[in-house]
Amino acid sequence: MPLDTSTYHLALLRLDGRRWNELRRLHAQISTQASADGSSYLEMGNTKVICTIAGPAEVRGAARREGAERDNAVVTVEIGIAGFSGVDRRRGGGGGGKGRGDKRTTEMQNTIASAFQSTLFTHLYPHSTITISLHILSQDGSLLAACLNAATLALIDAGVPMSDYIVACTSGLTPPKSGTESADPLLDLNGMEEQELPWLTVGTLGAGERVSVLVLESRVQVGRLEGMLAVGVDGCKQVREILDGVVRRQGKRVLESVIS
Amino acid sequence: MAPPPTPLSPSELSYLHTSLSLHPPIRPDARSPTSFRPLVAETDLLPAANGSARLCFADGTEAIAGVKAEVEKVQGLGNVRWYDNMDAEMGGIEESERDGEQEGERGKGVGEDKWIEVTVDMPGQRDDDAMVVFLAQMIHEGLVADGGLKNRLVINARWHWRLYIDILLLSPPHTYPLPLLSLTTHLALLSTRLPAPISNHDEDPLFNDDWDASSPLYPSSDTYPDAKTPPQSSPARPPITLLVISVGDNVFFDASREELAVADAVLAVTVGAPSSPSTGLNLLAVRTIDPPSRLSASAAEVGRAGAEIDAEGGKEGVWKASKGGMKRRVLARMVQMCVEGGGVGEEVLGGLGEFS
Repeated sequence: MPLDTSTYHLALLRLDGRRWNELRRLHAQISTQASADGSSYLEMGNTKVICTIAGPAEVRGAARREGAERDNAVVTVEIGIAGFSGVDRRRGGGGGGKGRGDKRTTEMQNTIASAFQSTLFTHLYPHSTITISLHILSQDGSLLAACLNAATLALIDAGVPMSDYIVACTSGLTPPKSGTESADPLLDLNGMEEQELPWLTVGTLGAGERVSVLVLESRVQVGRLEGMLAVGVDGCKQVREILDGVVRRQGKRVLESVIS
Repeated sequence: MAPPPTPLSPSELSYLHTSLSLHPPIRPDARSPTSFRPLVAETDLLPAANGSARLCFADGTEAIAGVKAEVEKVQGLGNVRWYDNMDAEMGGIEESERDGEQEGERGKGVGEDKWIEVTVDMPGQRDDDAMVVFLAQMIHEGLVADGGLKNRLVINARWHWRLYIDILLLSPPHTYPLPLLSLTTHLALLSTRLPAPISNHDEDPLFNDDWDASSPLYPSSDTYPDAKTPPQSSPARPPITLLVISVGDNVFFDASREELAVADAVLAVTVGAPSSPSTGLNLLAVRTIDPPSRLSASAAEVGRAGAEIDAEGGKEGVWKASKGGMKRRVLARMVQMCVEGGGVGEEVLGGLGEFS
């Protein structure tokens, strides 16, 4: 879908009226489902994701033979993309079941699994699995980032120890202004911008500058990468603040219900 | 489609079975036989769907349903059928005589079953898993048996809406998820809105961009656009499926997992709102479901040995699966309680109507 983003340089406002360094509305809930070990609901703009955690639980079935001798918990990720999540209905986009799902979903699953495999204290749970199920209800850009953030919240709700939050957001690059070579980085792209502009997803561990996830699938000049990364990492700090607020609010609620 | 077994011991099950078959029965959570546990519901939560709903039952199971509508060309016989109707349209009475379920301004044509597509998605289950297909089929059956819904999908002689209903079960199925999925679908359909057409009768359909001008698929009574409709008639509603269990002579609604484990019979009853008021609900479908007790080893043995009916078999204080079928009197009462005027079915429909 071709889209004219060249108007950006006129007022330095993006299609949805944001400035270059503004996040979309980020809203999250934790402990949304009583029957799961941990669960969360996260909205980044119009991207909406529900995450549920099963585990840490004993390995069962066929996976047992492969995983029996391991000393660490194994993190598995299932992503289900709902048929009604996009503008047009699409069937079978997700990997909620076995033996389906497209390559893009599989790659997201792998990225998320490897990110959490190294961040969670998996050595505390030998011979077990932690299953992260992500249900994408509505997609409008920053899908991987939303999944990572939702999974972090749900894992905190499940009480799985980890060294710090994995927080993620996307950053992109405006088309170069005519006549000059400069291109501005943008924070937190929406679905329309993602189709048009080069963009990357960056995930950091906590508010520092330790990058744990970095996915870039579009062509971009290597000289401009640094600017995009810096904006992305800065966005991650803001995301961490918001997620931390969500966790603290939930903690307060739990404490109050215990005391009263 | 067996849910995981309960962790209760045979003597605990026996205790539960006894207390449920008393007169009056005592349920573990002190509810009355017809009362439901509280549930949490939310509608219109997805911007990309025509209608959507999220429903959480008290046992922690949760489902989300999304309805998406697409415009499609009528194929084959549908055309012919319509033109038959067009001749008779001047006297709308004749038409409604021929098809009793015609209603409202949309119900001018006759819809087809395949215009509605239902898919169920369950965590950890394949698409073609028997239980997933079975559940989707049962919900689809209820929706088309009603007749009202598919007739609403007619746009004009050559075009119609195709409705995709995707239901996501977010939690592992602790109990039979059918009522949860059915109620979620009901709420999603109630919140479904279709864009307002700006094209005339048989033109290719064009729609108004303004979402505020869109019309609900199921208009509620107070905003009913058709002034000719008598105001006393209750607004049309999508059908719902209720799970009813019987223990002894008692009938229970909204059974918990433990109650299901000792049920003598489990029935899925699909009811729809009637076209005329004050006659109770329409009964659309009844299905018996194997209670979990039937799937245990002792029950299988009985099946092999032949149906030997044993009223109070087994030792005192040790629960054994009931043998034999269910009594016709109980079956009749289970269905009666769902459909009668002022019965449970009406109460549930009324309660869910509050959301829309």
